[in-house]
Parts: sequence; C-alpha cells; structure tokens
Amino acid sequence: METERPFVLPGDSIDPSLIPVPRQQDAQTQNSKKQAVLRLGPGLRHMAATGAIVPTVPGQLVVDGRKRSMWVESKGGRYVASVGDVVIGQVQRSAGGDLFYVNLSPYTSNAILPHLAFEGASKKTRPQLAPGALVYARVSLANRHMDPELECVSPATGKADGLGPLVGGTVFDVSLGLARRLLMARSREEGQVAVLDFLGDEGLAFETAIGRNGKVWVRSDSIKTMIAVGRALQKTDEDDLSVDDQRKMVKWLIKSMR
Amino acid sequence: MPREAEPSLNEKQFVIQALQSNLRLDGRKFDQYRPLEVSFGEQYGVVEVKLGKTRILAKASAEVTVPYVDRPLDGIFTIATELSPMASPAFEVNRPTETEVLLSRLLEKTVRRSGALDTESLCLVAGQKCWHVRVDVHILSHDGDLIDAACFATVASLRHFRKPDTSIENGVLTVYTPAEREPVPLGWLHSPFCVTWSFYGDEGEIAVLDATWLEEAVRVGSCTISLNRHGEICQIAKLGGTPVEALSLLQCTSIALVRVKEFSALLDKKLAEDAKRRDRGGLLAELSAENDR
Repeated sequence: METERPFVLPGDSIDPSLIPVPRQQDAQTQNSKKQAVLRLGPGLRHMAATGAIVPTVPGQLVVDGRKRSMWVESKGGRYVASVGDVVIGQVQRSAGGDLFYVNLSPYTSNAILPHLAFEGASKKTRPQLAPGALVYARVSLANRHMDPELECVSPATGKADGLGPLVGGTVFDVSLGLARRLLMARSREEGQVAVLDFLGDEGLAFETAIGRNGKVWVRSDSIKTMIAVGRALQKTDEDDLSVDDQRKMVKWLIKSMR
Repeated sequence: MPREAEPSLNEKQFVIQALQSNLRLDGRKFDQYRPLEVSFGEQYGVVEVKLGKTRILAKASAEVTVPYVDRPLDGIFTIATELSPMASPAFEVNRPTETEVLLSRLLEKTVRRSGALDTESLCLVAGQKCWHVRVDVHILSHDGDLIDAACFATVASLRHFRKPDTSIENGVLTVYTPAEREPVPLGWLHSPFCVTWSFYGDEGEIAVLDATWLEEAVRVGSCTISLNRHGEICQIAKLGGTPVEALSLLQCTSIALVRVKEFSALLDKKLAEDAKRRDRGGLLAELSAENDR
C-alpha cells in the first residue's frame, strides 16, 4: 500500500525505513518468492558498489509495499519507447516499399511501422499515408540501441482495437507524466486527473486518443470544442492542477469561450 | 544535426480552420500579443524578455577600440544574434540558418540603420579611439515571433546600458570605473520596435500578430514593420510569400503603431521601475555628508 510520497532529488539517499521488507510469513511460503524480490521502477538505480538505492530523476518516491516495488513519479523528459505502450506518431515517409518511418517525438530517430502491421493489410492492399499523417500505434519492439517498431493491429486477433490512422482533429503536446496519468484505468482516483470528464460534463462532444509519448489527439465537429480541450489539458499540465482546481478551471474556460 | 520539427497535417489543417472561424489556439484575438515580460539583470544592459514561451536574453557591452578608417568620427555598433541549440536542436552553432540570417538582418535594419543609437557620441579621439558598443542577443527558447521579441530585447538592453564615463586631459584618455564616476547612458535618439504580421488564406486575407511556432509553420507570408512611437517607419520587410492587398497592409501598419506605442510605454515604465530600484543607496548616497541620527 502506498502511503505518503516523499519528494526526492537525483542522488538523494532514501530513508531505509521506506524500502519495503518482505513480511515474515511471505518469506517462508514458497509461492510468494516472486514477491520477495524488490522491484525498482523508473527513476531509481541500484548502486552495485554500495548496495544503495539512488534516485536518478527528481520527483515523488512511490512505494508499493504489497508488490514490493518502488519508483519515482516524475513529470517527464523525452519519451523512450517501451513494449506495449500506445503512442501517437507522425509519419515521416514511406521507405523501401514496405514500411513507414514514424516520428514519436521531435528531433529523435524514427520508429518503424511496417505496411503490413495494419488491420486487413496485405501485399495488395497497403495503407496509404502521406508524410505528416498521424497514426495511433502500439510499440511492438523496443531495444535500447535499435529503432523501436510499431504495429497498428493486435498480432493475436488481427483486429485493430482502435489503433490505426488518425483522420482529422488535431494533436496537443502534454508532458509524459500527464499522458501516463490520463492512460491509467482509474485516472481520477490514481492519476488525479479528471479534466476530460469535466469537459464532457459541460456538454462538449469530442473524442480523444492519448499517446504515451505525450500527445493527445482530439477530434470534434466544433473547432471551439477542440481548442477548449487543448487549452484545458495544457493548463492542467503546466499548473499541476488538483481535481478540484481542474473542475474550476474547466468551468472558467467554458465561460470565457462563450 | 536533426531537421527542424514539422507539425503534422492534422495540426496544419486545424490551425487554418480555426483561423478561418476567427479563433486562435490560445484564445487570443488576432491583433493581440502574448503577455510580454521584461526583467533587468544586476548589471547594466542585461535584459531578459519573455513573450509567451519565447525567451530572449540580450546583453550590451562596450569597449574602447580604434574606429574604422573611413569613419574616423563614428563609434562602432554591432548586434550579434545567436540561435543556440538550446532553443531547438535544429540550430547549430556557427552554421546560421535562414531564420538566424533574417533575424540579424532585420535587427540591423531596425536598430542600427535607423540611427537609433547616436554613433558619433561614441567617438573619443577622432580617428584613434572610440567606443565599440556590442549587443549579444541569445535566443533561449523559440515559440514563434522571435523578431519582435529580439528587437524589444535589443532596444531595452541598449536603453538600460550605461557605459563608463571618460575624460581627456592633455591628450590622455581616462576611463573611470563605476566607483569613481557614475556610468553614463548611451546617446539614444529614438526607440524602434518590430511588429510582425503573419498572413493566412489563399490571398493572405487573414492577418495575425505574434504568431506562435505552430502558427508560423503554416503561414503563407509574413511582413515585419519597424517603427517608433511617433509613427516613423524604419523599414518594412515582406520577404516573399503570398502577395497582400495594399489596403490591408496600410491597416496592418496603423495597428502596428498602436502596438508600438504600447511597447514604448511598457519599456519606459520598466526602465523607470528599474532606475528607482537602483537609486536606493548608490554613489549619491555614499557621497552625501548627512549622518543618520
């Protein structure tokens, strides 16, 4: 169970009482051996020489005692692809006749999206995507020294599951932290972000796709609605608004846009 | 060197659609600037200007050198602009991009060629010694409308700058330190500011002030008007792009004058505030014979 979240800076020493220890009965039973291993998430590093656990990014230290895991919750930085993430990419060009080069964040090397990684695609029916088009895709392969690979189809079922080219609408940049919070299954309780719910409560009709690489795609029939969604997201992100403040901000935004 | 990022097709289309229905992404009016923040540094001539997310640092400095042979009675005044990789990885040091060349050229035309700084007052000994005033403009962050922000920063830093006081006795030039004599302001004649319009639509019928990076990426043309608060136009640069109706250009100029008057008032106010802040203590207080009792 996570309790308080102390703020840590890179190189800080972590209070040893925060590091979860295996409970006595867990250590003895055979099936919970897996849980006895301490798991370090993003932003933490185990120094082999001293055995200490040191934060590498500034942020809030989160300790999950039940899963025996800990990580540092930070706002972002540059996106590094990892398998299973859903991302919004921008097609750069089609290359070699069988793949697209897709950009996940500006000024970084491209990801690869094969032409055949779309729903119903075959050698004869290839998707046609112009340079600059947006795609909603899942990262299927990510290694440290290789360009990541994407797919717009589930390899198990052959269905798109909502992935594929994003037509119309627009995309807004948010921090990686906010994108991650928006993608949480219970984003209001766990991620403290409910800005999209509030916008919907105000009667705005829009659809969104959230990319783990800090991009939010919004489509609506009304341009005003899209602008309102974009401004609400960016305001939430920049000012680190709490759920109550998000509600107030959305009310104020809707009033000022009228 | 990575290529400059380009907005996606969806974004481009969206920005144009929004502008056609009289909307901007950040909720501004078409002829409205983002909030302009000015802060002066501890030293004279250091100024930081923030225009939304665009951020510019300008620093003025002066040194004594030999004047140019063909202009023995004039001092030297140069403006150096630098778009560092800090603003965008697409900018590289010592390899100027088109943006950088245009920026430095426009600053040159606006501030130097318009005679804003009285270069004759920089002469110390005719043909032998003169002041070389140099303004370094550093772009710290790029979110569109660099020209207007950089011009404001240049003018602000020059007006804030104080050069060391000098005297000549029997042909000997003395440069005084700030402790000996209060530094003196530059001979300043007028304050020109740049106002950049961006045009959209097939015939450039939509005109927008202070375009952000995204808006700049989809514009069909732009026009930079430099003028001072008396309405004296120093230059108009409309470098390529879609032709624009003469009548709408006239209208742009008259709105530009209103904005320049606002800039001028803002700068005067900020300079006065800074002067007031510095006035406490200082050399005058040190020299006073009064005692606190």
